[in-house]
Amino acid sequence: MLIAFENPLNESALAFPILECFHILGFAMTLGTIALVDFRLLGFGLRQNAGDLAKALAPWTLFGLIMVLVSGPLLFSSDPDMYYLNFSFQVKMLLLLLALVFHYTIRRKLLRGELSPGLSKPVACISLLLWSSIIFAGIFIAFVVTPET
Amino acid sequence: MSALELAQWIQSTGWASYLRMSAYVYPSILSSHLTGIALFAGAVLATDLRLLGVVMRNQPVSEVIDQLRWPKRIGFLIVATCGFLLASSKAEEYYYNTFFRIKLTLLVLVAVHALAFRGSVYNNAAALDQARRMPGKAKLAAALSLLLWTSIACVGRGIGYIEPPLDKLHAALTSLRATAEPR
Repeated sequence: MLIAFENPLNESALAFPILECFHILGFAMTLGTIALVDFRLLGFGLRQNAGDLAKALAPWTLFGLIMVLVSGPLLFSSDPDMYYLNFSFQVKMLLLLLALVFHYTIRRKLLRGELSPGLSKPVACISLLLWSSIIFAGIFIAFVVTPET
Repeated sequence: MSALELAQWIQSTGWASYLRMSAYVYPSILSSHLTGIALFAGAVLATDLRLLGVVMRNQPVSEVIDQLRWPKRIGFLIVATCGFLLASSKAEEYYYNTFFRIKLTLLVLVAVHALAFRGSVYNNAAALDQARRMPGKAKLAAALSLLLWTSIACVGRGIGYIEPPLDKLHAALTSLRATAEPR
């Protein structure tokens, strides 16, 4: 598809790096607060009740997610064809979807005490693995070869 | 040995050269650096927000600080180890990098912050539990910590945006310049 106008983002050399900073701070907040709860489930770090801890940190997880989900699509808009065809980006989007669904279904249920406590450790490990793999996939966007558009 | 010579020597070591030229090891360490940042950030954020009285107000400050001490240390160790490896692979180039220099300066300020507030805040948490209101010094420590770490993250991203001064780099190393740096 031909786009008849230039993305204003690409008019400024500073727009992209500033958005990236928001993106980094956002995911640090998201993964950081999620990890505190996951580590609690694994018996490391904070010792208060995991459900209460999750409830206390949830607004901060969400705040980080909003930062990421606002800055992310804007970064994407700077060069949509490249991202769309980039293998690492495709993997990242899939992982993001999985992580979000897992976070707000299974993990939330566990933290509300609706699942067997025996599942705490596996759920914590899956959560940590999913969220950190998103970071890896994100970084690799810049390091894999994108097919010519 | 000058700082520049040290940077050139570090960059010329076998492992630094290997990292610089690797297709996947360099980005893997960069990813670990960022994952470590997130884990570390969680512990720092929770400590600072508790000091500011924003989260976990029903938990004693001393317990939050104590329980997050090791997660912070381990997180920092991951970030610092990966950071050192990344920097060493392009040490000569980064020697000239303004953002890299600012980042190192900010890290020195982190040490100053730790020294300045250790006695009155971080190692004095039992007294903070007793205080009816959080002392201004503790809140200041938390606010400065958030400001410092946020700046360090942003300045760190800036490092990748400065073009290496090819005319100044050691001739032999110029041709081996990093295969790919995002943007």
